Amino acid sequence: MQDIAFLPIGPEIVLLGAALAVLMVAVTLDLGHRMWAAISFTALALAILLSWAQWIRVDDVGPQLNYGGEGVRTASMVVMDHFSALAGIVVFVVAALALLGAWPLVESLERRGAEFVALALLSIAGLHTMAAANNLILLFIGLETASISLYVIAGIVREQPNSDEAAMKYFLLGSFASAIFLYGVALVFAGTGATSIYGGGVEDFVNGNLLNLLVNGREGVLMAGIALLVVGLGFKVSAAPFHQWAPDVYQGAAGGAVGLMAAGAKVAGFAAIARVLAGAFPLAVDIWAPSVAAVAALSVVLGTALAIAQSDLKRMLAYSGVAHAGFMLTALVGAKAGVPAMWFYLSTYAFQLLGAFTIAAAVSGPRTGASALDEYRGLAARSPVLAATMGVMMLSLAGLPFTAGFVGKVGVFAAAVEAGFLWLAVVGLVTAVAGLFFYIRVIVLMYFQQPVLAEGPGTATAAPEPSDHQRIVLGVAVAVSIGFGLVPWPLLNLVQHALPL
Amino acid sequence: MTVTAGWYMALAASLFTIGAAGLLLRRNALVMFMSIELMLNSVNLTFVAAGRELGVLEGQLSVLFVMVVAAAEVTVGLAIIVAVFRNRATASVDELTGLRG
Repeated sequence: MQDIAFLPIGPEIVLLGAALAVLMVAVTLDLGHRMWAAISFTALALAILLSWAQWIRVDDVGPQLNYGGEGVRTASMVVMDHFSALAGIVVFVVAALALLGAWPLVESLERRGAEFVALALLSIAGLHTMAAANNLILLFIGLETASISLYVIAGIVREQPNSDEAAMKYFLLGSFASAIFLYGVALVFAGTGATSIYGGGVEDFVNGNLLNLLVNGREGVLMAGIALLVVGLGFKVSAAPFHQWAPDVYQGAAGGAVGLMAAGAKVAGFAAIARVLAGAFPLAVDIWAPSVAAVAALSVVLGTALAIAQSDLKRMLAYSGVAHAGFMLTALVGAKAGVPAMWFYLSTYAFQLLGAFTIAAAVSGPRTGASALDEYRGLAARSPVLAATMGVMMLSLAGLPFTAGFVGKVGVFAAAVEAGFLWLAVVGLVTAVAGLFFYIRVIVLMYFQQPVLAEGPGTATAAPEPSDHQRIVLGVAVAVSIGFGLVPWPLLNLVQHALPL
Repeated sequence: MTVTAGWYMALAASLFTIGAAGLLLRRNALVMFMSIELMLNSVNLTFVAAGRELGVLEGQLSVLFVMVVAAAEVTVGLAIIVAVFRNRATASVDELTGLRG
């Protein structure tokens, strides 16, 4: 009987337990949403502390493979290293803020709000599993736990037109991506005889250490497998040309729910990409780097070009998200050397995205899907706080100096140049400048244009006010965007250690 | 002629392609959903064939996990399709045109 190490899977246990508790409390006790809030935020705080404890534990004893007994090749399912610990901290902080920002939506859903909270907790557990998995099958299970919950969350407000359409599109394309990813796992397994990443797994095979398998001449199968893994995960982080679902889903889903779907899924998706590419196949970098560079270049160009043409803020953010996915892939062409740059960009971008979607929920309403740019005309006169916050988000997303977005962009371009992809850094630089146009346009709309005359809530003459929950989210988002823009060194030092094993 | 594991993998690849083509070409949400199931099951066939050939258990084990995940996907997927059908009295994705731009 082996001892089970509970620390590596601690956050998942806490979150899954909390999800069940919220559901049980909702059907047995009529205590309302305050009880759900108490359970879910306690669980998330505990999960953040456990991730922090993981980081300290790895400092002390080094990376751990859970259940990793001698001679039990299949047993090691979870890896605990600085990479998974940092992923946990970022995912849980972002998710806790997203859930906080979504609370007006939870209140408006009344009894169904408990389902939203439980599904959110389940998806958060899945998101962290993606980053901590030491087995491609477990990575797939984490991916599906997160995705299936998010399909429902996308359509949670059934009465809202287009919400069901968003859920359907997300479901069909998301499942398609999952199937492609899974076929990639199967082909990697056929090529190497392993589904685990470390400890006698795929990594050892690629490094030439796995001698007990009779799989000579299977490189082609392995290469096809890696390609399908990248395509499947590329779908999940909406990198071009696999991005078509994102604008429709972001626009159609309820305003309060998009923050979790977008920011949480991006963080975990990129953690999974980095784990697969830089963790499992670091020595095959010459083979996959050119195709990743091509996807990155296509993403930044296509995302920027299409974002310019949008008339809806959430669609615009979706296309800008395609461009940002490209910037983060730009860092990953350097394999392990690029992971710190990716982490800095990713962890600050998630807060900016969350902040921008929270403002959209405050302006257009937490249940509404669409958030037309016309609603932001003259916002500065009506809601100065919201307009100023939005301005900071836009400047940081655009990557102007003294914002976190600027430091992040410098980092990813430096990583690309170091990896020998100068052309990719140049493409990124040019599109980053072109991208200024649509970010600045939002600021111009808010500060220098008169509202279109119309009456009633959700129109350009209403004066939207953020709820107290949303104020906290916006405060943190602004603090991260400006704080890490002026003083980036603490986070830069932290991410230097957050390499995959 | 012996039927080796390679044949099974080739069959699985064909099924996966048929599933992917079905998803991209058909316009009924239920049929698209069935295509996804076909893709998942062709992956299962690959796992079993490769596991059998390599003599390791992970192939067969993985299939069990995949089947559970696919079952969870069915429940959520059918629920979403039913919700769309109730709102619009159609399951054709060509009718879902509210979101564009």
